[in-house]
Parts: sequence; C-alpha cells; structure tokens
Amino acid sequence: MTDYFKTVFSAASNTLKGLWVTLRYLFKPAITVQYPQEKLVPYEKFRGALLFDAETCISCNLCVKACPSTCIQLENATNEAGKKIAKVAWYSIDFGKCNFCRLCEEACPTKPKAVWHSLDYELVFANRDEMVRLWKKDFDYVGMYYDSKAKEYKKPEGQIPIQTTAARR
Amino acid sequence: MAEPMNAPQPAAPGPAPAAAAPRPAVPPKPKYPDPVYNTRNGRLLMPDNRYWPTDMWKNPWARPSYRKSAVILAAIALGGLAAAAAIGEMPRWAGVLWSVLSALAAKKGFSETAALAAWTVIKVLIVLHVVILTPIFLVWWERKISAHIQTRLGPMTVGGWHGWAQTIADGIKLLLKEDVTPNVADRWVHRLSPLVVAAPAILAFAPVSFGRDLSAADIDAGTLYIFAVAGVSVIGIVMAGWASGNKYSLLGGLRSAAQLVSYELPRSFSVVPVLMFAGSLNLTRIAAAQAGYWGGVVPRWFIFYPVVGQLSFLIFLIASVAETNRIPFDIPEAESELVAGFHTEYSGMKFSLFFLAEYAYVLLASCLAATFFFGGGSAPLAVLGFIPSWAWFIGKVLALIFCFLWFRWTFPRFRVDRLMDFNWKFLLPWSFANVAIAGGYLFFLR
Repeated sequence: MTDYFKTVFSAASNTLKGLWVTLRYLFKPAITVQYPQEKLVPYEKFRGALLFDAETCISCNLCVKACPSTCIQLENATNEAGKKIAKVAWYSIDFGKCNFCRLCEEACPTKPKAVWHSLDYELVFANRDEMVRLWKKDFDYVGMYYDSKAKEYKKPEGQIPIQTTAARR
Repeated sequence: MAEPMNAPQPAAPGPAPAAAAPRPAVPPKPKYPDPVYNTRNGRLLMPDNRYWPTDMWKNPWARPSYRKSAVILAAIALGGLAAAAAIGEMPRWAGVLWSVLSALAAKKGFSETAALAAWTVIKVLIVLHVVILTPIFLVWWERKISAHIQTRLGPMTVGGWHGWAQTIADGIKLLLKEDVTPNVADRWVHRLSPLVVAAPAILAFAPVSFGRDLSAADIDAGTLYIFAVAGVSVIGIVMAGWASGNKYSLLGGLRSAAQLVSYELPRSFSVVPVLMFAGSLNLTRIAAAQAGYWGGVVPRWFIFYPVVGQLSFLIFLIASVAETNRIPFDIPEAESELVAGFHTEYSGMKFSLFFLAEYAYVLLASCLAATFFFGGGSAPLAVLGFIPSWAWFIGKVLALIFCFLWFRWTFPRFRVDRLMDFNWKFLLPWSFANVAIAGGYLFFLR
C-alpha cells in the first residue's frame, strides 16, 4: 500500500519536474540567430575568406611554398628595365583548393600581413571561375575573378562580407 | 617570367587575358582601413551585443528586446481584456442583431419563422467558424510554444509579425495539394472517414456555452450529448485505418479504437461528481452552479472543492489528452512507430480534416474543462466582474489549451501496454473512488 502511494507520488513529482523544466525554457530568450537578418561575427581567430593586399606584398613566394594544397600562385612584377622588383604582377588563390589553414598567413613575412584571413564565412561560388580570386596592383582586398565566358574580370557577386577587413596581424 | 613551380591551374587567369581585358576602374583604398561592417541586410551581431547565444540566458531582463517582448505580451493580454470590457456581454449584441433581423422580416413581409430560421443559420455559422478558425490559430500557437520551449523562434516570416499568417498559408497549400487515394484503398470508406471524424467534432460544439447565455443549442442533456457525439469520431478513425489498405494505418486505427474507448470511461466518470454537485447535465446550469464566492474571495469553482475537485480535474485532463490523440497519448499516430498511423495515406484537404478534428477536440476538451471545473464564464475575483463572461471563458480555455501544448512538448510517448495499464489500473479505479467521495460529501455535508 505504501509502495503504491510512493510510486504514485514519485511519478507525479517527476512529471511536474519535467513540466517545470519546459516552462522555464519557454520563457528564456530564443537563441536562434535569424541568419540573413542577423549575423554573428565569428571569434577573432576565425579563418574566413583570404584577403590580399598587393601594396604590401613583397612577392617572396613564401606563402606559395607554405600552401599545402597548392592553391596560391603569383608572378613577380618587373620594372621598365625588365628587372624583377619586390611587387607582384598578379596573385591568385583558388578557393576551390584552399583549405583555410592559415599557413600562408603565418608564412607571410611582411607587417602587416599581405595575405590574411578575414572573418567572412559567406563565401559562395556559382561556378569554377568564381573560385579563383585574382589580385593585381590596384584591386580591392577582396580581389576579382576572371569570367572565362565574358572574358573579363568581375567583382565577386552576391558576396556579402561580414567584415571586408579583419584586424591584420 | 615562367609559370610558378606548383601544379598549373587551368582556371587560373594568367597575365595574358589581363592584357586583353580592360582593367576595371578601382577606387583608391585607404592604407589601413577600419573594419567595414555589412549593414545592408539587417543587423550585425557584434561581440559586444551578443557573443555566444546562450550568454543571453544569464540575465534576460537586461536585454531590451526581452523587456519589449514582455511588454508586448502584457499589452496583448490587457488590450484583449479592455476590448472585451468595452464590447460587453455578447447577448446584448445578439439581441440587437435579432431585433434588426425581425424588424427586417416584418418590413419585407416575411413570416416570423423565416427570421427565426435565418437567425439559427447565423448562430450555426458562428459556432462553425469558431470550430474551423480556432485550429488556424492553434497550429500557429502550438508551433510558437514548441519553438520557445526548445528556445527556438518558430515561424517568423510569413505575414510579418512573428509569422502569424503561417497557418493560413499552410491551409492554402493543403487545399491546393493533390488528393491521393492508394490503389489498395477501400475508396468509399477512405473518402468517408475524414467526414466521420470531423463532423462530430463540429456537432459536439452545439451545447457548449461560451459565456453567459451564449450557446448555440441549450440542450438539457448537454454533457451526455457531447460525450456521445464526440465518441462517434472513433469510428471514423477506425474506418480510416481500415480503408487505407496499409498495415501501419490499420495498426493505428486499432490502437486508437482501444485507446479512445478505454479513456472514454475515466473521462466520463471524472465528470460524474460535477454532475452530482450541480444536479444537472446542462452545461449552462453547471456553469451557473459554480457562480459566487466562498467568503467573498475564493470562487465556488468545482476545482476548489477539496480532494474531489482536483482529483476529477486531473483525471479529466489526462483522459482528455488521451481522447484527443495528443502526445504523450499519441500511439494511434505514433510517428516513430507507425509513420503517421491512421492518417498515413491521407493528403491535402482530407488530411487537414483530421487535423481540424484533432484541434477541434482540444478546443472542446478545454471548453468542457473550463465549464466543469473553472466555473465557465465567472470571474476569478469578484472585483474583476466588469470583464464580460465570454472573455473569462476564452481566457480559461486558452490557458487549458496551453496545458495541452505544454504536455505535448514535455512528455515522451506511452508504450501501448503501459497506456492500458495506466487507464484501467489507475485512472478508472480512482475515478470510481472519486465518485464515492463525492457521494460521501453529498450524503454527510448537505
């Protein structure tokens, strides 16, 4: 008899405990981030899309050598005499190959870094051409891609960078 | 300069196309620019306003949006009560409508019977729309509550404010969907069963009194009528399970037959003490029997009768959840066991009729519980009597419906044998005991 009432009591109290938990959570604010309207800024060391600054780069080829997935290519610029100078003529990163490991940024000897990770996690590519970003002398940090059908350079479309510039280390 | 030493990239633009294509004009950029935040597409959550989402649970009241939401909720509640107080009791407006109608009939030369028939049609249409439109709200509310219990947001887009039009859009979608009947189905029974489920759900609302003098049909045996008519739906569910020609549907139908018939018993017996105390089967009279206050403070609602009231309310609530096939008693449609049970093979409007019936029964059970145990439309405090009875009734019904939703998103499903054990070995004996206790009260204290 006492066992019966004990069982009933424990069942009822556990039921009420469960209800209390859900009721408490009902009045907590929702943790949903409504993505296109709200965007979280990632933590400081987040490895987002790579940015490049052609002004700072000294064309030392260290990032090319550091890259484990061989996604970086560059070519030295030359002066009027045809002599190599410490600037890039062009610099390209293939985001189809890139694995966002930060080794290029760590290898970069300049200060501030010439190639660095932004906080942009919204990289979207509609075709293979868009995956290859190219930088030249006066291009933005975000770079351009070469549209092989239209035979021209285009700005990355539909890309809404979280922060076009991260704090450069 | 030769190509770089690593593997050649086919898509990598070399210097050659650069010469061909005109260089686009690029605006000059600052040397060390400040971070540029994208504000085009709304608000950017920065580390200072929100870093990790669960951080906001620490002190929710510190956040302006939380305070704003609380104010909005309070304003909705107070605004509803104020609007109700401004509108006043409904029978007055019904009287106005009736006098307009009879005056019109007299002017046009129609007989009094024609006016009475038109008046009946209007009343029926009002009750019908209460039954049909409530599920639209309830589905939205259920999704909101389930979402917030899981600290999500639920529908937020359709219609603008918190996705209020989501269910309307879903209803339109269901109307436009293809009506599929399986080849092996028994066509006529398959087509008939949603009607057999949904029609009693609507019929059962006839004697429900939505407030003082607000019932479509004031039947003397109202309670009996409701339980009898609502019981017909079981047949529809069994028909649906049988006619689908699908083993899962058949299992669902069988389970629901077992469950609904079993739980009908404690549900009816839990109401017996109420009927004994009220001395009537008429819902209006049962509600009227609970008017007044003990010592001017505690309302004479049946739930405040010591022991009997609480016990019968609990049994009624549990059995009602089981009767409406809702979690934790949803074994007829148990998703993880039976796909969707008896309505697996239904699509489009037939499916939504089942859905409508389920929510209509939730509404009916809440209306009954509000009438039997919470005094129908009577105010909880004598001071609040200025708010009309229908507003109190709707408030109580909404609170009880919230309990249904709350249970659904808290408890896991019963096992079939435990479900039967719980009913026959626990609820039913206690509902008998409850009737005995009520009889003792009546015998010794009156």
